[in-house]
Amino acid sequence: MSIALKTLLPVSISLMLMAPAQAKVTNAELKIGISQEFETMNPLISTMVASTYLRYMVNRRLTNLNDKNQWVAQIAKEIPTLENGQAKIMTENGKKKIVTNWEIRENVKWGDGTPVTCADIIFTRKVAMSNNTSVGERETYEQIEKIDVDPKNPKRCTLTYNKAIWNYAHQLGTFYILPKHIEEAVFEKYKDQKEGYEKNSNYSKKPTMPGLYNGPYVVSELKLGDHITMVPNKHFYGDAPKIQKIIVKLIANTGTLEANLRSGTVDKISVLGLTFDQAIALEKKLKTEKADFKVEFEPSAVYEHIDLNLDNPILKDIAVRKALATAIDKDQLVKSLFEGKQPSAIHFMTKNDPWYTDDPKSITTYRYSKRQAIKMLEEAGWKAGPDGYRVKDGKKLSLTFMTTAGNKIREAVQVYLQNQWKQVGVEVVIKNEPGRIFFGETAKKRKFDMAMYAWVSTTEKNPRSTQHSEMIPTEKNGWSGQNQPGWRNARMDKLIEDMDLEFNSKKRGELAAEMLKLYTADLPVLPLYYRTDNAVIPNNLKNFKIPGHQFSETNAVEYWTLE
Amino acid sequence: MGTYILRRLIQTILVITIVSYVCYYLMTLMPGDPVELMIQSNPRITSEDITRLRELYGLDQPAYQRYFNWVKSIATGDLGYSRTYRVPVEELMGPRLKNTFALSFLALLFSISVALPLGIYSGLKPGSRVDYFVNFFSFGGISIPSFWLGLMLIIIFAVQFPILPAGGTETIGVDHVSTWAFLKDRALYLILPIVSLSIQQIGVFVRYIRSSMMEAMRNDFIRTAKAKGLARSVVIWKHGFRNALIPLITIFALSFSGLFSGAILTETVFSYQGVGKLVYDSIMQNDYNVAMISFIISVSMVLMMNLVADILYGFADPRISYT
Repeated sequence: MSIALKTLLPVSISLMLMAPAQAKVTNAELKIGISQEFETMNPLISTMVASTYLRYMVNRRLTNLNDKNQWVAQIAKEIPTLENGQAKIMTENGKKKIVTNWEIRENVKWGDGTPVTCADIIFTRKVAMSNNTSVGERETYEQIEKIDVDPKNPKRCTLTYNKAIWNYAHQLGTFYILPKHIEEAVFEKYKDQKEGYEKNSNYSKKPTMPGLYNGPYVVSELKLGDHITMVPNKHFYGDAPKIQKIIVKLIANTGTLEANLRSGTVDKISVLGLTFDQAIALEKKLKTEKADFKVEFEPSAVYEHIDLNLDNPILKDIAVRKALATAIDKDQLVKSLFEGKQPSAIHFMTKNDPWYTDDPKSITTYRYSKRQAIKMLEEAGWKAGPDGYRVKDGKKLSLTFMTTAGNKIREAVQVYLQNQWKQVGVEVVIKNEPGRIFFGETAKKRKFDMAMYAWVSTTEKNPRSTQHSEMIPTEKNGWSGQNQPGWRNARMDKLIEDMDLEFNSKKRGELAAEMLKLYTADLPVLPLYYRTDNAVIPNNLKNFKIPGHQFSETNAVEYWTLE
Repeated sequence: MGTYILRRLIQTILVITIVSYVCYYLMTLMPGDPVELMIQSNPRITSEDITRLRELYGLDQPAYQRYFNWVKSIATGDLGYSRTYRVPVEELMGPRLKNTFALSFLALLFSISVALPLGIYSGLKPGSRVDYFVNFFSFGGISIPSFWLGLMLIIIFAVQFPILPAGGTETIGVDHVSTWAFLKDRALYLILPIVSLSIQQIGVFVRYIRSSMMEAMRNDFIRTAKAKGLARSVVIWKHGFRNALIPLITIFALSFSGLFSGAILTETVFSYQGVGKLVYDSIMQNDYNVAMISFIISVSMVLMMNLVADILYGFADPRISYT
């Protein structure tokens, strides 16, 4: 197989280099290619990334994160705050709670013309809280203790939270509203059956009903595993979409996806399309040919890192962790492997985050120095052995390094790091596993020394799930939580708990700064780099921007135009 | 014969039941389950959420109990619910099974139609120029990786000379004015996948047919038939080919048993909406209901086609009887 690949691939690549003529894409129709599967369009139930990508075209929420990383009102008139008087903290039975007043914009309607009201919000919460509905995480709904509707205005309601949290606007960014006038009958009929509602929901049975959607587009055709077609929503509250038909086509093989782009079967490849190395190769090819499309890159919120198992006797020693960090030349890594397009990471926050800092006075930074790394290990008692690897008390400085097998980029990074660590006398044994086993067993049950994978670092995010000591996965908590390194730091726990309840944004910034200080000083994780999103777009597509945060490019689909 | 078929059918049901339980049990042993996949994609899922979801999905029950619940629902005609796509299994698999059947059946038919004359001719004229030519292409067909061939076909016939669609199952968003227009559209999308799938099959079939035919034609009774002065066509078809059929029935029957299993590589390369990738993904994502239905279909097809092959042996060779 490998010989065949070596001999046949150059032929295919040279054939690929010859670009045929293509018709110019217009606002009449845009065909987007994706390589990831999507599921039902029910926003409450679906969890796949591709479904989220599609959902933003047809569904809107109360709040949204714009391309400048700021929380803004989407279908709400404004975000209630303590400053504008629409939010207030109250005390009930000695417990602090927050009350927020929301008003949905007058002209926000479902695709069949029915107004979106607070009754839809109440209904959505009711469905989400049913034990027979398989909503993954219920915190967003559970925290809302009660919803009171203004008797004079069905679009105005008060949401009372069971505790005084400051990030309610962030949470409502993932509160997807269901149309009560369509879905209530289904829910009432099947609510007592396990998964009864979702099995019979109109999103599954009649997904082309316009009334199911309140975004700029409605679904006109849906074939799971193949494609989805969307046309403008006549009752959309915002600017009318310019593109008259959008078809999103699933092409799972990324090589075929590129061929489909060249044949004109698709006009655009979404951020869920090509792999990073493919996008780089395509960009290079496009420099030597005249094509009607271009590749766009944007650093994303996904950061690659290495979890260090702090229960490992070697990695327990902070000096070893610091030496490992100092021995990595991250700038060279991103230059040689990613042509500088994936920026190196110094901690878990992205540069777009208001809490981000790279000030060496605030955080501990680890500048590459082979000599310094060797010195740190020597001082920690790890002396060079006859084979070049370090030894302490008769034990070799040897660590296993795991990631998902078959991921070419991660495997290249592993080899690069293995070589760098070898130069300072650390033996690294690479042991990769299929993603299913790596995430389902090894990472979850913390059966690793060093594990490389990625996390999404959302804006102004409290890192509770990855850094609070209660979030260390154990059998007792059903292996929930993502503190895989097993980091226990009482001060960090306190900061995390305080942050949830801190309403002063300046003070929250200070808490975040202290978190970064602890995180970089204690090094439970070696941050590596931020992944870069890529998309291939027609040259004449305007107003398109990869946002670089957790919400996808389709959040602003109504502004896209092909001129 | 009737008793034999009945006995085999009962055996088939028994084997399907045993194999289905083994498959179900093995799937439960795989690391991860649908809830764990949710945990991986959402760090905010709490231990309470996990307990609630496991109970809802029945994952808190032992494997045998879950298996019996599954059998019970199958017996009532409910194939279950896909936890990956969040739709009933029959809605998800029905259209894909039809697509896969159309692709696999037409590819198999095309392969047999091409391989049969080529294989017989090569078997009758070993060492001839035609035989060398056929052998060269047979080995070529067997050796070419199907994903590469698929990609090449797309580049040539869809990118460089855009005469066929690059991939898909049908033209999206077109209301066909007649059945003929619909069939024509579907046929256009089937050409490249069928060619890609058939090239390898033709190579394999030609090799089997050729060797089987050569062996049959070396038998003493062929020499006797020739000595009796029988016509060449009678010698070849009545005496030679009929005897060569026995191994070929096994090969063809096994090939037919894969009609609903899907050709994962071809379907993926051509973005053809078949069952192949769906089954692969369902196994990888522990989508038990989808995976189990595909297992049952695959096992049933293998067993049924073996039964058909056994019956056909009797017709091909009168020495075989089932009384």
